[in-house]
Amino acid sequence: MGEPVNTEVIKERLDAAKSARMKMWLELCAHCGLCAESCFFYLAHDKDPTYMPSYKVIKTLGEMYKKKGKVSREFLEETLDIAWGKCTVCRRCSQFCPFGIDMALMISTARGICNTQGVVPEGLQKAVANYWAEGNQMAMTKEDWLETCTWMESETGEEIAGLKIPMDKEGANIMYTVNAREPMYYPQDIGMAATIFHIAGEDWTMSSEGWDDTNLAMFAGDTKCMTHVVKQTYDAAIRLKAKNIAITE
Amino acid sequence: MYEFIRGPLLWVAFIVFIAGLIYRIAALVNLSLKKDQVVYDHFSTSWALRSIFHWLLPLNRTVAQYPVYSIMTYAFHILLLGVPIFLLAHSVLWYESWQISWWSLPEDVADYLSLLMLALILFLIIRRMVAPYARIVTTAADYLLLVVVALPFLTGYLAYHQWINYHLMVILHMLSGELMLILIPFTKLSHMIFFFFSRAHIGSEFGERRGTVTW
Ligand code: HEM
Ligand code: SF4
Ligand code: SF4
Repeated sequence: MGEPVNTEVIKERLDAAKSARMKMWLELCAHCGLCAESCFFYLAHDKDPTYMPSYKVIKTLGEMYKKKGKVSREFLEETLDIAWGKCTVCRRCSQFCPFGIDMALMISTARGICNTQGVVPEGLQKAVANYWAEGNQMAMTKEDWLETCTWMESETGEEIAGLKIPMDKEGANIMYTVNAREPMYYPQDIGMAATIFHIAGEDWTMSSEGWDDTNLAMFAGDTKCMTHVVKQTYDAAIRLKAKNIAITE
Repeated sequence: MYEFIRGPLLWVAFIVFIAGLIYRIAALVNLSLKKDQVVYDHFSTSWALRSIFHWLLPLNRTVAQYPVYSIMTYAFHILLLGVPIFLLAHSVLWYESWQISWWSLPEDVADYLSLLMLALILFLIIRRMVAPYARIVTTAADYLLLVVVALPFLTGYLAYHQWINYHLMVILHMLSGELMLILIPFTKLSHMIFFFFSRAHIGSEFGERRGTVTW
């Protein structure tokens, strides 16, 4: 709080985001209000108009463009409230807007701009730090991850004879990835997935790195980190010469 | 005064309208080549055309969600494009032959349609003031543009009936029509062209990339 806002960086980001699409969308909105009903936030709040999609865009990204990036910290805090608190970036509204304005992308852009000023929900900040530290959102160490897989292999193997969880196997058909919450809180999930692969006779593997398929950095609007997260997984698949990447449900 | 508005000023308005739109399109396409590679990567002509088709015609979920407004706005757009083009045909004739005056033509239907148009615009204005979800995003410009669109119809109607001051009405009629033409390329009214671009994009974005419809 009270920290100065680097409006130059914001301006740079706004200019970079000003694609032909963005330009068109900013101008095109007829302010017709037809996107209102498409948003579950709007419906869940007794049709409170402050929850309607185009209003949320106008109040956040629209305002930033209007002010050419010269916004206050209070404004960014309000944007956090709207862009994270009142929108999941689910993109449903763009399917209902007569012009097909991609409002989720616009909210996403607003999130990215908040991110440059450190205005990000705490949980997401933590996740981003975890991705940088250990490559997954829970900051699980490589040893813990491998240990969990071995544990699941032996536990599930007691019920299904011959079940294996092949780690870092080269040339498999499928490289399976999970949500980092699974090894952390629901390790049995991994056993269940292994059961399915085993019964189906699938040629599969899991990687010791880049195994977390969540990307909370994307929700944080942190482009650098979100690229890092995706790249880890692709790098792992390339290293293991896996033919496909499968992600958990 | 009248000659000027009907002659050179009309040409100016037409040129600004056409050249303005061409310029806007060229600038946008040019920018897109630099910054919107992703659009070209996933573009699909068939998804684009289907997306436009479903929204040019009332074949989408939004129209079903807002039936009253949809009927009104479709009628509004049809009259908006239909009435002037229909009348323009006469005015062009008049212009070329210098013999008949377009406003003296018996245009009963156009007369009623102008009234209907004014009623529709009034509805659109009232809706903006009454419906909370429209009101909250409405700006002064939205009202102003509706008034700009209404003026040619209002003044045309008044001139036709020779109410108030006939000559003044004809002049205002032409001026407001010209104003509308000039404003199209530079306001949200540019949607008459960009509608096709944005629909083509979102149709491809959802259709080609993830097999989902946007209607
Ligand atoms: C082919 C051409 C056009 C298409 C496809 C088109 C499409 C649309 C769409 C999709 C909307 C938003 C939702 C709605 O109200 O239905 C809209 C609104 C609007 N359009 Fe058009 N339009 C066209 C031409 C024009 C022109 C030429 C004008 C005026 C010069 C115009 C004036 C307006 C206005 C004033 C609104 C806002 C209505 C309101 O206030 O509720 N449109 N149009
Ligand atoms: S993207 Fe945001 S505004 Fe649009 S429907 Fe989803 S939650 Fe609502
Ligand atoms: S439906 Fe589209 S044009 Fe209408 S208010 Fe929402 S974003 Fe704007």
